[in-house]
Amino acid sequence: MDDHRAPRLVETALRCYPARWRYRHGHEAAELAALLIRDGTPAGTVALSYLAGAAREWLTPRPERRLTALACALLVAACSLGVSAGLLASAGPARAASTSQPPPRAHCPTGPPGPVPGVTAATGHPREIIWEAGHGRPC
Amino acid sequence: MDVTRRDGKGGQDVLRRVGEASVLILISLADGPKHGYALIQDIKELAGVELGPGTLYGALDRLERLGLIDPLPAEDRRHPYRITAPGAAALRVHLDSLERVSAAGRLRLRLGGI
Repeated sequence: MDDHRAPRLVETALRCYPARWRYRHGHEAAELAALLIRDGTPAGTVALSYLAGAAREWLTPRPERRLTALACALLVAACSLGVSAGLLASAGPARAASTSQPPPRAHCPTGPPGPVPGVTAATGHPREIIWEAGHGRPC
Repeated sequence: MDVTRRDGKGGQDVLRRVGEASVLILISLADGPKHGYALIQDIKELAGVELGPGTLYGALDRLERLGLIDPLPAEDRRHPYRITAPGAAALRVHLDSLERVSAAGRLRLRLGGI
């Protein structure tokens, strides 16, 4: 690996760490990597070690991160409740209006429906049978 | 035989689950404070183990959280660490456990005639 690519590879790996870690160890870690590479450790090995360390750092549960997650969960729950309450509040008056004065259904004739076109009523109780079995018909 | 859980005085072996890297770091710090590069070199000499820098910082953070090591004021960019009194006690308990396990293993090998 050439002299320019090695530090860039390590820098990229170091950028994968959380900001808090970089603030604390970033400079020292870069210097340590340079010393190890100077001693003959391949830059790829150093970068890989830092990448694995960064993954561990993100995956390790920490009390402050747990608190942040809890705060986020509470915020999301509060937002969901607020949206639900808002939807219910806006739907309430409309539903009340629709139930107090049912609009006349102009397209629906009162009483049992007439025979379905193309269906010939059988002898016996044709109308009741068609009324009970009115699959998917709006009226 | 319960050789790993407790030492003779009833102290718990807190290093049982921290991993080999952390134990090696504590052993390295036992003779004086060191920074990252010095730790890697010392552990390589001491145990023939080449710690990766990512592993090193992970172990240092864990040991610091456990109160087993302390960071010292930075020298230039380097942060030396020193072992704390609880760290030294924990290391002693762990090494005692390892000694007992080692002795038991040797005895069994002798008894087994291997």
